[in-house]
Amino acid sequence: MIGEVTTMRDSRRAQHWRGILALSFVVLSGAPAMRAAEDARQIVAEAQRRSEAASQRYEGWLQVFDAKGRVSDKRWILVRLGSHGSSKMVLRFTEPPEVKGVALLVINHPDRASDQWMWTPAIERDRRIALQDRSTRFFGTDFSFEDLEERDVDQYDYTRLGEEPLDGDLCWKIQSVPKRTKSSQYTKSIVWLRKNNYTFARIDNFVKDEVVRRATYSDVAEIQGIWTARRVEMADLRRGSRTRLTLDKLQYSLPMKEEDFTLQAIRRP
Amino acid sequence: MRPAGPDVVARPIVLVLALVFARDARAQVVTYRGWVEGKALVFPQQTPNDPERLIGDARGRLEVFFGPSDWIQVASGVEAWANSYNQVDGEAALNISDRGVRRPALSLRRLSATLSRRAITFEIGKQFVRWGKADVVTPTDRFAPRDFLNVIDAEVMPIRAARLAVVAGSNAVEGVVSTFTPSRTPLFDQRWTVVPPGAAGIVLRDGGSRMPSRLQAGVRWSHTGRGFETSVAFFDGFNHLPNIELSAIVPASTATSGAPGPRPLPAAVGLVRSFPTLRMYGADTAVPTPWVTLKGEVAYFETRTAQTDEFVLYVIQAERQTGEWLLLGGYAGEVVTSSRTESNFAPDRGLTRAIIGRASYTIDATRSAALEAALRQNGDGVYIKGELSKATGQHWRTTVSGAVIRGAEDDFLGQYRRNSHVGVTLRYSF
Repeated sequence: MIGEVTTMRDSRRAQHWRGILALSFVVLSGAPAMRAAEDARQIVAEAQRRSEAASQRYEGWLQVFDAKGRVSDKRWILVRLGSHGSSKMVLRFTEPPEVKGVALLVINHPDRASDQWMWTPAIERDRRIALQDRSTRFFGTDFSFEDLEERDVDQYDYTRLGEEPLDGDLCWKIQSVPKRTKSSQYTKSIVWLRKNNYTFARIDNFVKDEVVRRATYSDVAEIQGIWTARRVEMADLRRGSRTRLTLDKLQYSLPMKEEDFTLQAIRRP
Repeated sequence: MRPAGPDVVARPIVLVLALVFARDARAQVVTYRGWVEGKALVFPQQTPNDPERLIGDARGRLEVFFGPSDWIQVASGVEAWANSYNQVDGEAALNISDRGVRRPALSLRRLSATLSRRAITFEIGKQFVRWGKADVVTPTDRFAPRDFLNVIDAEVMPIRAARLAVVAGSNAVEGVVSTFTPSRTPLFDQRWTVVPPGAAGIVLRDGGSRMPSRLQAGVRWSHTGRGFETSVAFFDGFNHLPNIELSAIVPASTATSGAPGPRPLPAAVGLVRSFPTLRMYGADTAVPTPWVTLKGEVAYFETRTAQTDEFVLYVIQAERQTGEWLLLGGYAGEVVTSSRTESNFAPDRGLTRAIIGRASYTIDATRSAALEAALRQNGDGVYIKGELSKATGQHWRTTVSGAVIRGAEDDFLGQYRRNSHVGVTLRYSF
């Protein structure tokens, strides 16, 4: 059944085979290759490869906690065609009622920043989100427009900073700096990647030397063979607010059509 | 828990649509949205032709969207309106044409079918068609008549049209054919129709509207380039803003007396709205730079109707979203190439030769504020309107708004200087 979480037994078997393959690789290639395999870029590339899917759909529940502890809820449905640098994404709000139908179209590019448009049904118009506007908050959440882009491994330079345990998982700690062609609000990011399943555990996003936004990934499960964090919490450290995104009804590799990811298509509720 | 109320109306409609298209149950997606609201506007000043200072509105809107299969979608919507000051037509039947002088009590807001197959989208029925990229003044937005019963708070109205859009890579071509829908102009016996001081005693008689009978058509080519967007548009049809034809109604005794002396003022003036032919050649563009997004829109209008101006409208604006602010500022200009009009209602032109600006600020997750202003370059007219709104829970929003209008009597904006107002709106969305 699509979307079914595989059993722990299947998961252990997969990990076992990965272990054997990794060991064979070390035996056949020797230590230098091992170092290369664990090179920061290769680790991120491997994480990207493992999360690749022809498409993705989920229903997102957003809880925005402001600095005074007040909570407001939002819900959206996200559909994505393709993966990472070549993907297209439509995000459409379903709650609260006054923003129902508001949609964001994101066209990602492997070599540069994404193109983004927002459709506002109340005025029946779309608006292109300019590059310089990407650092602003997306619809009152703590995600910026840029945070909604899919990162591609080729858009950053990486440095491995070591290994660190985080919430019980041993993680690679990697610094990523956006390349010149990738216009970004962030000067750099520090990424914690879980060693056991190559999923993100945390991303600290910096402006100069200050961490401004922190994304924490939890509730990791293997869904259709892809290890996925089903809870993402984005904290805006300057505002003192945070937004928790819970992914529900997550499915990969659903049949989707290119023509549903156009400006014409986002007009249709 | 979601309260009952408007959902009681929405759910049966959703259910009926679902039953009608029950065959292909797997592909069905039914969504709805809507709201009900109450609004009160207070005008501190009287006008010579209108002593009323308090106007109340009660309004509701429901839109249902239904996709019986992945290539067809049906959109439907109705709107109900009640008003304390005779701005709503008493007709109880569902209004489809939107051609009345007053707002219909019950109107069809949209009813359209959208067929999409690969790169082609075809929509037919009552719908919204929006062109252009500028915000406060949009010269190329020719398929978007507006409700000007409040001139500085005019909503876009739907039209009956067929729209075909073909997308090929970064290019899109859109063709539209529509029946004519006029803008709703200010009521002649109310404050947004300004009577010159010397004519305060004259009765204005609404002689109705002369509606064009032929169809309108337009085509727009859009290109999304790397780092810019641009469109070229052509429209052939009618101006949805009318010329006003005046006719003096002189009492029979005065008219036939033949007595010497100054010509007497007429007892009444008959006003008839007529809609001149209009052909538009337009273009718009948006260019994001590292600091701001620059937008430009220009259109040249020509006509075959006598006593109607030919002119160019253009807008240049810069836009920037920073922190919690969305800022927009620019200039709207006009060049008259042939001056022939005697009397018309043209708020699009009235807002030109002006500096325009808009700012909105998100205070927190539930509160926001917005400000919009236009200042004529000669200083003869200005309006500033603002609003502060707060959401309560998932459904309620309260908005306090106000507008200040100042200027000279003979300026388009300045003539409304007695129409500054404050208002409060309470809306329940579902």
